[in-house]
Amino acid sequence: MNVTVFGATGVVGRALVPLLAEHELTAVSRTARAEPGARWVVADAASGDGLAAALEGADVVYYLVHSLGARDFEEQDRAAAETVAREAANAGVRQIVYLGGLGADDPDASPHLRSRRETGERLASVGVPVTTLRAAMIVGKGSAAFETILGLVKRLPVMVTPSWVSTPTQPIALDDVARYLAGVCGNEAAYGEGYDTGGPEVMTYREMIERIAALLGRKPAIVEVPVLTPYLSSLWLNLVTPVSASVARPLVEGLRNPTIAREERIRKLLPLDLTPFDEAARRALA
Amino acid sequence: MLESGGFESRQRMLVADPVVEASEAGARTLGVTYWQAVDRLTRGAVRASWTGDGGKLKLLGGATLLTFGRPELSFDGELVSCRHAIQGGLLALRAGGSVTLAQRPEGDQQELSVTVEGYLPRLAARVGAPPWTGMLYARGQSPVHAAVSFRYFELLLRSRDS
Repeated sequence: MNVTVFGATGVVGRALVPLLAEHELTAVSRTARAEPGARWVVADAASGDGLAAALEGADVVYYLVHSLGARDFEEQDRAAAETVAREAANAGVRQIVYLGGLGADDPDASPHLRSRRETGERLASVGVPVTTLRAAMIVGKGSAAFETILGLVKRLPVMVTPSWVSTPTQPIALDDVARYLAGVCGNEAAYGEGYDTGGPEVMTYREMIERIAALLGRKPAIVEVPVLTPYLSSLWLNLVTPVSASVARPLVEGLRNPTIAREERIRKLLPLDLTPFDEAARRALA
Repeated sequence: MLESGGFESRQRMLVADPVVEASEAGARTLGVTYWQAVDRLTRGAVRASWTGDGGKLKLLGGATLLTFGRPELSFDGELVSCRHAIQGGLLALRAGGSVTLAQRPEGDQQELSVTVEGYLPRLAARVGAPPWTGMLYARGQSPVHAAVSFRYFELLLRSRDS
């Protein structure tokens, strides 16, 4: 099967590409690369440049790109998704696989989560069957959300946190997300379907912070305050973590929404042994 | 009100189709959506805060109104439920009772329900005491609870339809 991966150089893309080794793989990036295991193509989902070459002969397309960090990321993501979907339809693609966000269907979703949902809708707007996997925080090296929490834990002995630390979430290991993504490749049962992909444990962000801290041999004091806006939080995160304010703000806004799996159909389709949170965090810290 | 002084209340809604899946995830969704309804109705003034041991319902991040045990998730056939044992807090006279969020078949429809059982509210009139001593509960806490239940049903249905 011919498979094209948009976002092959991102955190999820890098974990996914080796799992697709049995396929004829085209990896797409915005700058020229030459790494083994795939045919590398330069293309830009936003402008449409190079898309025809990237999608030529493709049966399955993975769409793992986003514009988080851009001022108008919502508009950019919608436009890029539409462009890729249209070109995919022209190229006769049989399946688009998209990684969206858990909690994105919440009617009061944050702009970031809403954007993830709208991106999925735009991908599906031209008739190519889309398989959407929805994930909360991905626990892996380089994941913006995980690196944000890690930055806080490493730098702060005392944390003054907004009330979002009590929001429940269901983080999933990077390896598990990659295995789920690879598992739906060309799987006709998954055409046109959406699946919640949660990890094996539900926890609050506070618990997550405490568990990561324990793995690092730290015990930060956490003081929860009821008033701390996403804007102030993002500025603070910009100061104390490696994540920029423009990326942190939409992420923080999204933390108000519970991000848990509402259904478990993916576990019937792909019955994987999921990685416990501590093990996933240990791998990310290694 | 029961002879024991405990309170029971039940709000329910009938819908055509299941709102959540009969699974652990579905049961958990009932609980998470209920606490989300509390947050939304009170505009964040009252929020549930959870640890591995259970939860606390806090007013403005400070005063603990109620404490709960860990959610007890159940999905037996078509009955899906999430039960929280009430363990104390300012609004509880003592530990006891529970809040249960459930979805169960009712004829050819599905019933969504919020059931409070055996709860001993501090603000309610004691057995044999004049009714006015329970005004704070009757005119304050009880209507808020009913409003939360309504918002909960609304959120569940909106999330299903979105």
